[in-house]
Amino acid sequence: MGDKQSGVHAKYDYIHDQESSPSPLDAHHVEVRRSGAKPVAACFFAALVSAYAFFAFYSKEKPNILAVWGIPLGALLMMKLCWRTVKKESVLIMPTFGVQLETHYRSGRIIRRFVPMGKILKPVLQECVTPVTCYWCLSLLLRDEEQLMLVFKEIRSPLKMLIPIWKALCAAADEGGGLEECGPDG
Amino acid sequence: MADWRRHRILMVSDFFYPNFGGVESHIYYLSQCLLELGHKVVVMTHAYANRSGVRYMTGGLKVYYIPWKPFLMQNTLPTFYGTLPIIRNILIREKISLVHGHQAFSTLCHEALMHARTMGYKVVFTDHSLYGFADIGSIHMNKVLQFTLADVSQAICVSHTSKENTVLRSGLPPAKVFVIPNAVDTAMFTPAPERLKSDEIVIVVISRLVYRKGADLLVEVIPEVCRLFPQVRFIVGGDGPKRVRLEEMREKHSLQDRVEMLGAVPHARVRSVLISGHIFLNSSLTEAFCIAILEAASCGLLTVSTRVGGVPEVLPDDMVVLAEPDPVDMVRAIKKAIALLPRIDPQEMHARMKKLYDWRDVARRTEIVYDRALKCSNQNLLDRLSRYLSCGSWAGKLFCLVMIIDFLFWCLLKLLQPAADIEEVPDMVQFHHQDEEILMDDSQHQSSR
Repeated sequence: MGDKQSGVHAKYDYIHDQESSPSPLDAHHVEVRRSGAKPVAACFFAALVSAYAFFAFYSKEKPNILAVWGIPLGALLMMKLCWRTVKKESVLIMPTFGVQLETHYRSGRIIRRFVPMGKILKPVLQECVTPVTCYWCLSLLLRDEEQLMLVFKEIRSPLKMLIPIWKALCAAADEGGGLEECGPDG
Repeated sequence: MADWRRHRILMVSDFFYPNFGGVESHIYYLSQCLLELGHKVVVMTHAYANRSGVRYMTGGLKVYYIPWKPFLMQNTLPTFYGTLPIIRNILIREKISLVHGHQAFSTLCHEALMHARTMGYKVVFTDHSLYGFADIGSIHMNKVLQFTLADVSQAICVSHTSKENTVLRSGLPPAKVFVIPNAVDTAMFTPAPERLKSDEIVIVVISRLVYRKGADLLVEVIPEVCRLFPQVRFIVGGDGPKRVRLEEMREKHSLQDRVEMLGAVPHARVRSVLISGHIFLNSSLTEAFCIAILEAASCGLLTVSTRVGGVPEVLPDDMVVLAEPDPVDMVRAIKKAIALLPRIDPQEMHARMKKLYDWRDVARRTEIVYDRALKCSNQNLLDRLSRYLSCGSWAGKLFCLVMIIDFLFWCLLKLLQPAADIEEVPDMVQFHHQDEEILMDDSQHQSSR
């Protein structure tokens, strides 16, 4: 492993691994910091559902639907939380070859997407607007594709973490010949 | 707030481009001129079809098209609190110092002003319309306006008639209401290079064909004018529910060769339609300020208009012939206008319009209102609630409840997403001596000064 650059944020950690030759792999990782609040809240909610289910099941009255389904529902909720919770997202830049985008979940599941360098027209930094919030996102403008490809599917990392990744993608796309010019507008 | 940008303004309305109309052009031109004066301006509106997200317009004007679907007449669904998270987000990320809402019809405008006041921002409201006092719709709308304006820093109206109307409807102190008329982009509306032949007189009508714009008056006026003046021809541009009545009138009086119906006219084509005529006819039944009249006068057309609302304030007496909103009086006014036509010089009229109506002047006057708004003292929630209580025995209590819930929701949002977690965006700085735009932080700019 080469130099490790790190950026600190309340929710995320940015790690930049640059491997030296023979394989000049440029890896950018954005890791989600483990917040104590979310798992505690989830466990508390699951415990509450389970406790109610046990109480209803062992009480004198006829067991209701929640009593029967409460425990499996609680377990299912916990599993879903674990399954969907993102641990980190990575951008692996392989010059002249392509870019691999990875999403690592806490469950151990990893989703990988590979984009050949020749297909990347331009990496773009843009502001996304939803009905309730605005955030920065990094996308890839791809050849022969109508839709932009999101680099980070799950994580909404801050702009200061996205800029070095965007610059690295610009440089790689430039080398790959897919890009004419990368201006400050992204 | 960085001192190199004097004001950081958020313009909010449901009505903005790609939609076209008086409010839309007002916001656009005012924003452009404020940007020229060195202020930061951001526009917030709802999404239009696939136009959603952040867009940049001429001069680096940033527009947030929030993905809320229009509900009725280009208005978003009134949710009271649904817009608070996004408005708070934009206010913080753009480092806004003042919120400027446009148009009493706009739901988004009312909600944005309410949330901005809850968060302690200074707010300015511009009213672009006149309302009645008697019908159910107006009574309810006036109550909503009273609620919004109960705690507004300053208000702007587009005409003195509009000011009277707003003050009466909202109970706002007249000292808080300023009159700043609209303007026209005279560079876009220039007369025809050559003067039109006077053997045939062309009367142009461009408006939405709806009741409020007096489409029913046109149905009675056009046949009578055509009967009295064989050399007169009409060009009617615009669309709407009343178009059918005009088509029927044309069939009934066999005026197909003398009344040309263009349908909806794109804004880019308005000038080319206007310069093909001698007289512009406006038959509105209510109008706070008619920008269409300004556009026509800028193109060198003599205007015939109904004497309603703020219309008599718009043009000098020698540029307009006014009539009561009555078919007989309108025919008389058209007769008078035809007699006046030989004395009209389109180029001279355009030159006068250029001096009289300038968006830069509107921006400078609006800037004064902003300065005054920012000097208004900050008040805590209790002081503000007393203003709402005075809005009526029942309504006052309801308004207070709405504001208390809004305040509590804001406190909850501050807990869930602290302001520190919302990223401030770098500003788009335009250097007028260069053709490039660059992104720059306040700190960077201050260090470069």
